[in-house]
Amino acid sequence: MAYKVKLDMFEGPFDLLVYLIENSEMNIYDIQVALITKQYLEHIEKIKALDVAVATEFMVLAAVLIEIKSKMLLPRFKPEGELGFEDDPRAELVEKILEYKKFKQAAELLDRQEEYNQSIFEKPKEDLTRYTREPDEYLNLDINQFAVAFTLFLNKKKRVEEIKKNYSRVERQKLSIEDKIKQIFKFIKEKAHKKITFNELLGEDDGKYEKIVTFMSVLEMIRLRAIHVNQTITFGDITISMNEEKRRGSHDK
Amino acid sequence: MTSKKTIKSAFESMMFVWGEPLDVRVAAELFNINWKDAYDYFIELKEEYEQEGRGLQIRETNKNFQFVTNADNVEYIERLCTPVKEKRLTQQALEVLAIIAYKQPVTKGEIESIRGIKCDRVIEGLTKKDLIVEVGRSNGIGRPILYGTTDSFLRHFGFTTIKELPDIEDIAGAMNLDDLEEIVETGQLAIEF
Repeated sequence: MAYKVKLDMFEGPFDLLVYLIENSEMNIYDIQVALITKQYLEHIEKIKALDVAVATEFMVLAAVLIEIKSKMLLPRFKPEGELGFEDDPRAELVEKILEYKKFKQAAELLDRQEEYNQSIFEKPKEDLTRYTREPDEYLNLDINQFAVAFTLFLNKKKRVEEIKKNYSRVERQKLSIEDKIKQIFKFIKEKAHKKITFNELLGEDDGKYEKIVTFMSVLEMIRLRAIHVNQTITFGDITISMNEEKRRGSHDK
Repeated sequence: MTSKKTIKSAFESMMFVWGEPLDVRVAAELFNINWKDAYDYFIELKEEYEQEGRGLQIRETNKNFQFVTNADNVEYIERLCTPVKEKRLTQQALEVLAIIAYKQPVTKGEIESIRGIKCDRVIEGLTKKDLIVEVGRSNGIGRPILYGTTDSFLRHFGFTTIKELPDIEDIAGAMNLDDLEEIVETGQLAIEF
């Protein structure tokens, strides 16, 4: 777990690098690349043991460090009149480190600002409907007008009640296809030769809704291969018989 | 024309009722006055509260004004109602936010090249917290999204405007780099190119 703490400390490859340079009290413009690279790679090994995905993020900079290290071994020629550091293979890295450090410090500044601002409280916007709600409406009527209006209202209420007395609300029983299928099965089974016509399924009082449900049920049963259907003449009656094979099949299961 | 005293007094009441930051332009419109005058009135009010060291202070964010408590009183407010402290931002989030604040509008690629590590999740989190927002798209390859900070950001960190952020070179100056400033500047130029 000790490693985990360390891992959390470094927010990225530059964070680690800056830490290593500062820790070894090196001048940022004269980084001892060999030493830093060694320490950096050691850290990566530790990180790798914990989380390969995170470690890969550190690899690019490791490669850069190694490249710089190898360049440092080569003899360098300074062209006349040019500044020394421009020729330094470390220059680019130093620039990036400085850039990163600037933002790291800006982050610290934000951190302090955030801490301070947490001691300041603001009020969330309150519910203002108490003030913005529609005002109450008042009727501008004298007592006689009001009395007339009230009588009218009472009369109307009385009439409505009288009408209501003579009528009662009737709910129609709605039939589902599932129920109808069960009914049809029962109906066919009761018949001697297991053969019926579609008209037999329809009752005399059946309305449009019941007729449609019955027809839909028959269609559904055809789909399920529960029945055989036959119609000899166009618009003629439909004969329905059980599909015995299917029934036996389903019973075997 | 309503007197200045009345307007200032009205602004004070309006801020109290409104709670949230009150836009100077909205306030100015109500009195049919120039928003710059209204702004001056708000600033005067703000200074009055500061000078008297009142328990309420006026905070400005991008020309919006709002009553807030005096930071010195935090201890007493906590005693009164033990407010739940907001979770602080992580180091990662602060770094990304700092880069966006100083370099905005900025692409994710630029942020990642400075930090040397992927930032997708952090950016997502900051967007959700309404601290940063997509401000457009760069003309670069793939037209990457540009990010910038929001007014919520200013409020969260107590900045009046984004210009109020301290100069980034000054923060670096605090690090005894005075004698090397010239080089830092050269480095800065190289990156901008």
